[in-house]
Amino acid sequence: MKIIKDAIKRGATALSEHESKLLLAEFGIPVTGEKIVKSEDEAASAAAAIGYPVVMKGSGEKLSHKTEMNLVALDVRNDTEARETFRRFTSRKDVEVKEVLVQQMVKGDRELVAGLTRDPQFGPCVMFGLGGIFTEILEDIAFRVAPLTKLDAMEMMEDIRAKKILGPVRGKAPVDREALANILITLGKIGLEHDVIKEIDINPLKVLDGKPVAVDALVVLDAGKK
Amino acid sequence: MPADTAVIDTAVLEKMFHPKTIAIVGVSPNGFGFGIGILGAMLGIGFSGRIYPVNPKGGEVSGMKLLTSLDEIHEPIDFAIVAVPAESVPEALEMCRKKGAAGAEIVSAGFSETGTAEGAALEKKIKDIARRDFRIVGPNCFGIYCPESGLTFLPGVELSRESGPVGFLSQSGGMSVDFAQMGRWMGIRFSKVVSFGNGADLREVSLLRYFKGDARTTIITMYIEGVRDGREFFNALQEAAESKPVIVYKGGLSDAGGRAVLSHTASMGGSAVIWRSLLQQSNAVQVGSLPEMAQAALAFSMLPGRVYRGVSVIGGGGALGVNACDAAEKFGLVIPPLADDLQQKIMAILPKPGSSAVNPIDVNNPLVPPHILKESLRFAAMDPAIDVQILFQLLYHFRSLALGIGVKSMKDITPHRDLADAVGEVMRETGKPVILVLPSRIRDIKSMDVEEVLRETRELFLERGIPVFDELSDALRALRHVSHYNATRQRRLRET
Repeated sequence: MKIIKDAIKRGATALSEHESKLLLAEFGIPVTGEKIVKSEDEAASAAAAIGYPVVMKGSGEKLSHKTEMNLVALDVRNDTEARETFRRFTSRKDVEVKEVLVQQMVKGDRELVAGLTRDPQFGPCVMFGLGGIFTEILEDIAFRVAPLTKLDAMEMMEDIRAKKILGPVRGKAPVDREALANILITLGKIGLEHDVIKEIDINPLKVLDGKPVAVDALVVLDAGKK
Repeated sequence: MPADTAVIDTAVLEKMFHPKTIAIVGVSPNGFGFGIGILGAMLGIGFSGRIYPVNPKGGEVSGMKLLTSLDEIHEPIDFAIVAVPAESVPEALEMCRKKGAAGAEIVSAGFSETGTAEGAALEKKIKDIARRDFRIVGPNCFGIYCPESGLTFLPGVELSRESGPVGFLSQSGGMSVDFAQMGRWMGIRFSKVVSFGNGADLREVSLLRYFKGDARTTIITMYIEGVRDGREFFNALQEAAESKPVIVYKGGLSDAGGRAVLSHTASMGGSAVIWRSLLQQSNAVQVGSLPEMAQAALAFSMLPGRVYRGVSVIGGGGALGVNACDAAEKFGLVIPPLADDLQQKIMAILPKPGSSAVNPIDVNNPLVPPHILKESLRFAAMDPAIDVQILFQLLYHFRSLALGIGVKSMKDITPHRDLADAVGEVMRETGKPVILVLPSRIRDIKSMDVEEVLRETRELFLERGIPVFDELSDALRALRHVSHYNATRQRRLRET
């Protein structure tokens, strides 16, 4: 895969958020609509194409804690705001921002997490659980050793304590479990077929009209493996 | 050759478990060595085949001549127990193999477990000797206990010769002996127990595959600390648990700690979490202690392979009610109120006041005679919501009664034999299993009569196919294991 080859060539140990999602999309995992822009005009036209409101994030290899660095703007509503935000990010003195990620704003109110890790003994394992800030606080998660059968994926969803979040909560559509199962099965497959991909986090995996969408993602590489 | 993961030749293993001729290599007539200990245990348990003890120095022990070499045996041997010092083990193994043995168990220590280069080199030599038609158990192990053939461990002279459904494979020798000993009185009968120690050749994957295919083993139990090949183990475990229950006691569960990881997924996926997940994924029965493993093995041995949900609890004199319901809920079971008409029928025969027939059925006091308990069990079984019945008996209260009326031992007044007969009958008649919970709250040195009655009672019930537990929570937990395994297995069969 070109994205991985390029990243390894430049010595990166992980893909950027945008690259991570491009990679996941290649495997058929639904991700937010988004575009990297390098000018104010591009920012405005990309935002218009995606549809307001959008999210804008400073983009760059060294930018890992974007929220803490005030490089995330939520709910950008129109042309003026998009242009302003672009100028604000790229004119920062404390940090060099050359590119900005313009992203579809997913208003899903349920945040899940999915991921891939490699156990030293059992190899690739898939995680599923409660996402967002709750992932680390509640650790309401389930693991399965890859490859996952559809039944494994379905059972994982029943494993978490907060499983009711997948149902029709407060008038929202229930989560499409088939689509969710496909994501989990795919993560396991990636782990088995691509040794170069060491770990994956999809967090949050938001639910939009019942469909799970990867809103943020991190793909960690193992440059020693090809 | 990765010996453990290679295809196993069942006929070779069968010959090892059921040898007609065995050599015990390394029997010293002096002191309490492993060799002479095992010889004594094999003679004591009544091994049915021929035993040839070997010691290069010759001599005699228990009236048996010690052979100076395997060459003095004028027939092929089927199996060998090797107890010579570590450095002599490879040579002894070669000789056993040439003598026709299907395999050997090495009880000697001094191999990789020492952490020395010499030990590791010796173990490598053993691995190289092992092949498809010559398998090795050990080194640094207690070896094989097979009640059918009379092959036993060193501290195993008293073990049962009665075969049963439970196969046990264990990295720990002490655990093998303890489990086999507990089995005797708890009512667990074994097909084979294999303590594989360092596991130079046969170990978790090969033995799991053997037990999966072994018709005599219908319940697999195992104690493992680490596995050699995680993927192979996972595959073998999944395959085995699809066909029969596999109870796994994993020793040494710890969290990730120290691993360099970047993602949240990896940081939360420590080894303990992954172990628990893969056991669940395989539908293995996870236990966390030897007693829990033994209790689960007992429940799987005696209870029909069903999904249990509704439980009736019948007893008197304890704080049964709320406690029972709380414990049941924790283990995914319910204690539903009995149908009104059944409550009335039971109430009509219970002593009053102070009894209740709702469920738990409180029969008012622990001295209620067997025929009333029998009737109560019979009525409760008529409720379709009841899948299994638990009889809770505080028999030690008969001691106070005995003392009160001037009888020396409670044994003379406790109706435990009648009780066992009555419960056995009602179980057969209703087709709903009964579990006995038999707590012991009086354990001082003066009350040995309590101990005697409780032990007799246990045996009487076990003889009738009724599993016995010390505590209600133990019984419910074991019941949950059986129920959960069967429910998951059935659901997966349905959905795939």
